[in-house]
Amino acid sequence: MIENLLVAVILTYIMGGLSALLSKSSKFTIYVSFIASLAASILTVAISISVLILGFEGQDALRVSYLQNATPVGSVIDFMLDDKAAFFTLVVGLVSSAVSIYSIGYAKGYLGKRNVSALGFLFNIFILSMILVVLSNNAFAFLVFWELMSLTSFFLVIYEHEKESNVKSGLIYLIMTHLGTAFIIGSFLTVYAQSGDLSFDSFRQSSASIPPLMKGVVFVLAFIGFGTKAGIVPLHIWLPKAHPSAPSNVSALMSAVMLKVAIYGLVRTIFDFSGIGPSQDFTWWGILMFAAGSVSSLIGVLYAVVEHDIKRALAFHSIENIGIIFIGLGISVIFYSFNLMPLSMLALAASMYHTMNHAIFKGLLFMGAGSVISRIHIRDIERMGGLIKKMPWTALFFLIGAISIAGFPPFNGFISEWLTMQALLSSYQIPSVPVQIIIAFGSLVLALTLGVAAATFVKLFGISFLSKGRSDHVNEAKEVPRMMLLGKGILASLCIILGIFPAAGINLIASAFDFPSSMQLATPFDALSIQNENNPAAPNFASLSIPVAIVLLGSMGLAVFGFARVIGGKQKKTVYGTWDCGFGGLTERMEYTATSLSQPIRSVFKALYKPQYHVQKDFHFNSNQYLPKSIKVESATRDVFEERLYSPTVHAAIGILDRIRRIQTGKVNAYILYIMITLLILLVIVRVFS
Amino acid sequence: MALEPVFGIADWVIGIFQTLAIIVLAPLMTGVMRKVKASSQKRVGSSIFQPYYDLLKLMRKDEVISDQSSWIFRFTPWVVFAATATAALFIPAFVSFTPFSIAGDLLLVVGLFGLARFFTMLAGLDVASAFGGLGSSREMMMSALIEPALFITIFAISLTYGGTNVSTIVSSAVDATIASSAGIITPTLIFASISFFIVLMAETGRIPFDNPATHLELTMVHEAMVLEYSGRSLALLEWAQSIKMAILLTLLVNIFAPWGIVSAGQPQQLGSAILIAPLILAGKMLIVAILIAHIETRIAKWRLFRIPDLLAMAMSSSMIGVIFFYL
Repeated sequence: MIENLLVAVILTYIMGGLSALLSKSSKFTIYVSFIASLAASILTVAISISVLILGFEGQDALRVSYLQNATPVGSVIDFMLDDKAAFFTLVVGLVSSAVSIYSIGYAKGYLGKRNVSALGFLFNIFILSMILVVLSNNAFAFLVFWELMSLTSFFLVIYEHEKESNVKSGLIYLIMTHLGTAFIIGSFLTVYAQSGDLSFDSFRQSSASIPPLMKGVVFVLAFIGFGTKAGIVPLHIWLPKAHPSAPSNVSALMSAVMLKVAIYGLVRTIFDFSGIGPSQDFTWWGILMFAAGSVSSLIGVLYAVVEHDIKRALAFHSIENIGIIFIGLGISVIFYSFNLMPLSMLALAASMYHTMNHAIFKGLLFMGAGSVISRIHIRDIERMGGLIKKMPWTALFFLIGAISIAGFPPFNGFISEWLTMQALLSSYQIPSVPVQIIIAFGSLVLALTLGVAAATFVKLFGISFLSKGRSDHVNEAKEVPRMMLLGKGILASLCIILGIFPAAGINLIASAFDFPSSMQLATPFDALSIQNENNPAAPNFASLSIPVAIVLLGSMGLAVFGFARVIGGKQKKTVYGTWDCGFGGLTERMEYTATSLSQPIRSVFKALYKPQYHVQKDFHFNSNQYLPKSIKVESATRDVFEERLYSPTVHAAIGILDRIRRIQTGKVNAYILYIMITLLILLVIVRVFS
Repeated sequence: MALEPVFGIADWVIGIFQTLAIIVLAPLMTGVMRKVKASSQKRVGSSIFQPYYDLLKLMRKDEVISDQSSWIFRFTPWVVFAATATAALFIPAFVSFTPFSIAGDLLLVVGLFGLARFFTMLAGLDVASAFGGLGSSREMMMSALIEPALFITIFAISLTYGGTNVSTIVSSAVDATIASSAGIITPTLIFASISFFIVLMAETGRIPFDNPATHLELTMVHEAMVLEYSGRSLALLEWAQSIKMAILLTLLVNIFAPWGIVSAGQPQQLGSAILIAPLILAGKMLIVAILIAHIETRIAKWRLFRIPDLLAMAMSSSMIGVIFFYL
């Protein structure tokens, strides 16, 4: 039964894509393609939830396979939906259905300007490829769909291809993603060398017998490969270029979902194929991921805070959040290697909860940014402002997303960050002092990241939505169509639900990763609680019950409202101009700008940005430099990674290739000489080795 | 997951009473600090009840609202007050536990403070005045750096006392003092207390971080963000600021100097101690308040870009505490 539904999902996406491709670019195309993807995504959510809650009718997983021996590498159509996969298809489905609804409104903005058929086609195939990557039960199929996912997303990145910068970022994306794929292939081939078969079932069986050294190779290759796709520093360079270039609905999908598919690949490889076991030989895996995660989160957020392009800032935040997910995963592997299973599960739950949360709030934020951009056609927040009055609902949803991502109660970001912090605080149980100290330093970095993240969203929301409009573009703005609001509304309510009822998310994760029932919460109102058995006098390490906290918060609010009413009585509110020091006439040029807002942080962390200021002064009289006529200041920040790491590497590579090119002289006799030399060398080799 | 402790009616009454005491007496503490500061500056100063008169006056006044502002501006004072007052629920004051600890721990308290600050910073930007932006900008930098210092301090405390549950922390601290009266003087806690004190000064905007009494744009941080507020909204914000100060001071003295708190483990002494404990707490808080007032009198406000140095000192101090615990 469910198998058939799974096939129906795949066919619906294909039908939606093809009918978009075959029809003329019109309103009809938009409805057909995005309603198809909406239906298929909702069905995906339903299947995933039923699999997670009900199980698989007695089997260990849901399997669909055709043409068993059609190719030399086994069946390409060999899908398996187990608990882990179901968790990730759930995330893909949830975000995709909201984005599909949003796209019905959003794509109308392209009508008459651009080919909507291509967008509808690529959109459907992109979502399908992500679901199929997660479903694949065969390394070959996995890589085929992985490549399909990379290529469709590449075409979507260059959808607005008349801008040269978009094509350039698409190219960088294409190169980096293939670099990553190469490492993934390497990792799979290393396991294949042991298993002799490309199916994931045989990978699982043979994983324990991989030689210890090769286990490390499998892990490192997978870490680099999937890390590139997930945007781990220093392999992140494509991410802040590619995500903003794509249409906003696609940016939402790429940032919210595609990065999670990479997380899926890594989780699958580590826990299923790499042969990891509870032994201290594997501690360094966790430390590597933890360190990479800490560095990524801090670098990501520090570049986000100085960014003025709203979509680029959100893309840098994806790097930050992927970093937080990696911190959780790394801690989980560290605990696992010391055989501290409950703590390992705590950390894994934190990491997966953040995976789900990030998908939801980043999808929401990108859709919010897309709504603003579709109305005022600029991405620079320096020229926005006052949008909360023009687009009240978009502003509200963006604010919900911002509070969630900044990690404040009672929204979902707080839950996963609370869990991550509790996992870090539980590191005292690790019987190794160096590892404990490493984790303590990592916690410092994580806390700094969260502090800066809150500051970034004050800036992104405050400058673009609050106060007075900073340019004439803002005056044209009006609220976006209902479909676009609905898409954001769905994800915004998920932010609230997963924040207030963490039990929902935790129980899903618990059943996806086979946690014992003691790790689950019986009712939605139970407190999350962590017990410390070493301390019998006061065993409660921490406990948190957001439903109760909400009630307390609400009653405090009501109480003080009543108190103020009783004490103060009825009052009049006068609306009057902002205080302007008595000079009269506040203009938007007197407002604080985004640049000056982040200036203190920029100067504290100046080593990373190398901020540059160009000051140009014109004087009334050059002899008297106290009376300037005009002052022009330009400030810019630079990307240290691009300058110090990528540019030198690319230059060196081009230099080496230039030198190699010298052997291509174009003279026939030179080539005959090469052939003769090659022949001689081969003859010598044959002589020596036979 | 495990057995939840069962609380009787008396525990809930005590819990609510502690919270109300913090909320109601917080302005008094602000008044006392102002008085001490005034007398250390050889001024007479206003009455210690002046903050109450101010709150009452502001509560009754009509408000003026900027025409540039949105609902964020009007909503912020309520969020700030509700979040700060809710945080007060989780703080055991003169009894070593509070039944509300089931619902939230120290990280939730920090999260609620963060929520309040987030909205204050947005409100600063909402009114389109350069002052608000200036305050928000400075607060952004300070809060970003306070966060790691505070978290590592919590790390050190939770290592020593086994948890982030505030009741667990305070009861363990009290038990440690009962076992040996110097039982809590460990290197970890000494370093953590230095860090916590710096964080307290920064969080509540005292000199050298910020000057609560200034209205000069060069030195304002918190005052700049709330410059446009008047009437009832201003009263709520000022009250919330006092409550925050009271919460952090209570935490400081209860975690690092837990002498004289009524322990949950000794119900027989509940009757007599419950009368003395609040006085002991008030005495300890008065000592810290005098210390803060003297610091504020002796040193000038620091330049904004020297503040990261002080916060880095807090971070390294608590980090040294953590490392001492492990070694």
